[in-house]
Amino acid sequence: MTHIGGSPRLLTALDTLVGVDLDAWLAGPGGAALTAAVADPAAAREAVRLADLRGMGGAAFPTARKWDAVAAATVPAGERWVIANGNEDEPGTFKDRVLLEHAPHLIIEGALAAAACCGAANVVLYVNPRHAGVEAAIAEAVAQWRDHHLLDELERVLGEPVRLRVHASSGLYVGGEDTAAIASVEGGFPFPRRKPPYPTTHGVEGMPTVVNNVETLAQAAVLLRLGAPAYRDLGVGEASGTRLYSLSGDVIRPGLYELPSGTSLRSLVFDHGGGMLADRSFKAVFTGGPSNTLLATDGLDVALDPDSVVAAGSRLGTGAMIVISEGTSITRKVAEYIDFFAGASCGPCPPCRTGTHQLSQILHRIDTGHGTPADLDTLRSLTALLPGSGNCGLVDAAATVVASALERFPHEFERQVHHR
Amino acid sequence: MTSAGIPYEHAVEAWRAAAPAPPRSLDVPAADVLAAHHPDHQAHGTTTLRVGANAGDRCPSVLADLLESASLVDDVDIAGTAVADTDVVVVGGGGAGCAAALTAADQGARVLVLNKLRLGDSNTVMAEGGIQAAVAPEDSLQRHFADTVRAGHLAGSRDLVAAMVHDGPDVIRWLIQLGVTFDTVAGDAGEVLMARGRAGGTTVPRILSCRDHTGLEIMRSLREAVALHPGIVVRDHAPVVELLTDTHGRCTGAVVVDLVSNAVQLVRANAVLLTTGGAGRLYVGSFPSSNHYGATADGLVLAYRAGARLVDVDSFQYHPTGLAWPSALVGQLITEAARGAGALLVNGHGERFVDEVAPRDVVAAAMLREMADGRAVERDGQVGLLLDVPSLVADQPEILTDRLVTLAKLAARAGVDPTAEPLMVRPTLHYQNGGVVIDEHGATGVAGLWCAGEVAGGIHGRNRVMGNALLDILAFGRRAGRAAAHAAGERIRRPVGLHHLQQWQRGLVDAGLPLDRRAPLLFPPESNVTPDDVMARCR
Repeated sequence: MTHIGGSPRLLTALDTLVGVDLDAWLAGPGGAALTAAVADPAAAREAVRLADLRGMGGAAFPTARKWDAVAAATVPAGERWVIANGNEDEPGTFKDRVLLEHAPHLIIEGALAAAACCGAANVVLYVNPRHAGVEAAIAEAVAQWRDHHLLDELERVLGEPVRLRVHASSGLYVGGEDTAAIASVEGGFPFPRRKPPYPTTHGVEGMPTVVNNVETLAQAAVLLRLGAPAYRDLGVGEASGTRLYSLSGDVIRPGLYELPSGTSLRSLVFDHGGGMLADRSFKAVFTGGPSNTLLATDGLDVALDPDSVVAAGSRLGTGAMIVISEGTSITRKVAEYIDFFAGASCGPCPPCRTGTHQLSQILHRIDTGHGTPADLDTLRSLTALLPGSGNCGLVDAAATVVASALERFPHEFERQVHHR
Repeated sequence: MTSAGIPYEHAVEAWRAAAPAPPRSLDVPAADVLAAHHPDHQAHGTTTLRVGANAGDRCPSVLADLLESASLVDDVDIAGTAVADTDVVVVGGGGAGCAAALTAADQGARVLVLNKLRLGDSNTVMAEGGIQAAVAPEDSLQRHFADTVRAGHLAGSRDLVAAMVHDGPDVIRWLIQLGVTFDTVAGDAGEVLMARGRAGGTTVPRILSCRDHTGLEIMRSLREAVALHPGIVVRDHAPVVELLTDTHGRCTGAVVVDLVSNAVQLVRANAVLLTTGGAGRLYVGSFPSSNHYGATADGLVLAYRAGARLVDVDSFQYHPTGLAWPSALVGQLITEAARGAGALLVNGHGERFVDEVAPRDVVAAAMLREMADGRAVERDGQVGLLLDVPSLVADQPEILTDRLVTLAKLAARAGVDPTAEPLMVRPTLHYQNGGVVIDEHGATGVAGLWCAGEVAGGIHGRNRVMGNALLDILAFGRRAGRAAAHAAGERIRRPVGLHHLQQWQRGLVDAGLPLDRRAPLLFPPESNVTPDDVMARCR
């Protein structure tokens, strides 16, 4: 059971975490976002732009640009698509599964609002069947919307009935990449493909498609309800709205925290997460994936919003923060995560397929006391060679984590290869 | 707990006046004696566990302090330490460990036996009286089952008891094949039969023995078999201080300290088998202990921290007849076979006060009642009751040379002539009735982790019958060894780490427990060697 904490609570408010009970949702905050979207789709898109809503699945791409692109398409609504991406699979990220299970109507309403804004009649809730209970919950929630009068309003905007359905993903990590999600919805294996062209012009069956992370759609529903100015004000400084942070690792109170976007890492760890476990000092945090540059002690005061984290040399990603204390080995953690990436590499791009495996083998050797100084040289070479060599960002993520760990904590690696 | 008793000289006079047929006094229902005097029934010295799978359960404070302790190692301490691979790791080379190692190795597994002390240095060698197995014509598995479950106050797992008694005859056959020489008697037609004794609280003579050093004889045979087996590697002076786990919480190996080279080492295995014995050297309730030096609950601590559930950890067995005098020999055991053969217990007034062959917990509680009520015997500040060996010898003149040879040696060490003078005895912390919850194959709730022997619980309920300990360790040692070898057949190399510690530390913080109290203890309190000392030497 995931601990849910933080404040203010919008996505995680009690009247929002109502499970599959549509009546309870509509008796509370439900319905307002979709009503606003169908009343004036262009104004709703403008609100999303003003609120500076960014993708919560890792890339932090401005949501309004995707919506505007699909809205500008010339094909009929029946050939435009919205995919709510709930594939979530990476270590340390556990926000989407909580929303899908406990606030499915928030996501559905966000997806329907996106459909209204983009003029898309196909809405797919793309969920990971490996998350126990999620697929059944979302299917039941979808069924409850049938014949609801708001869908008639939506039909009036679209010119045809909306087709809302659930698609169980493969459960594989690569399936969360947007082109892979499209391939999966088309019925194929979720191989990512090269971009451009982007999904907004060449998505499902070659048609304009918005692929949004489910938290992004949930945030969209919240902001359309509150209005862009009020939503913006929720953030700290320039940051806008709230965010879900998946906090794990060596903290006393791991869990899912909804906090103002731009909350500092220090506040997340020490004020909300209860501080470091076993009185150890903070060493580093693997952010959002864990597929980015590590933040060390000098990153504790970084504001956790997409732009500030980029300015600090890393990326916020999914908002996952895996905290590492002085009592925990960086090399072991890196070995574990690279193991994950090597297992998740889907195969078509040789540098990724063999490169992640090589990284994993070498790190495993170092972790189990059989590494040599030459292994460190090989690691460094690989992290220089591999980025950019795959269709998706998987191999880049793996190389980034290794390179960053080597750069920030060289002594841990060197101690282990000399320590024979 | 004990008030001063009747001076020894007066007590011996009273005994002499009444022997060999002293009067019975104070026949009180067993349940009342247990409730009023058995340590398991007293709240004093216990606490409620706050962390782990048994949070909310009562537990002796000395044990709780260890169960609710922090690890001796940090992830960062062991990162990059060379990992050695094997199929099965057996932690603790006593009777259960050797049985498990031999069985696993016979199945083709590569087995590593890690001993904190030395191979065979264990409570197994302390087992004197014998081993139970239903091998006699008038006996049956059903009777053995019923005797065991009843003596355990119906608290034992029926499945585990059934598994144990079922294996009894086969365990005896296996031991004979390994070279154990059980006592025999001549039958009516001159045939050789296995000699059988009677255990307290049982309905049939079922104890098979090697005089009164059965455990030592079994351990001798097991040690030789282990040493000669090509599939087993044995390392002495190499205690396990923590278990290794992967991200799913599966046990994937062990953190070992080499006490000779003062180095921390990692062993990865497909199956880890804890056969670490009990907790007698924690001196629960400040009782003297019959246990060997290594009985410091290490296995309970390791398994509990990794997430395993324990059962009946508040229940211990107090052997009625540990020596109470002289002080240097307090806790040294006199086998229950002495009472089984007819030796009586008398108080300071020369009176019997209990049926000597009642279940151990009843006899011990009755003795504690005598001690609490001032009817016990006092000598040089030690308090106990008298075991009337002289009357037994008068009745069975050969018994000290034929059967109770350890008793005779012990009496000599005490400077007592056992043919003329009674021995002073008292209840002594002997056996941990509970332990880690296992299934019929020794599997715990933690994947990759098996337990067998005294560290495991659920078999004997809240009181164990004499002779069932040796059967338990061999039956479940062999079962767990077989299961571990089967699991090791996967030959999958899993990641090693200390993933179970994160949640564990959170639990300690939540409960407000100290983070600087570390365990396993490794050596008993009187050693003056703390586990922190041991780890400091490795840095």
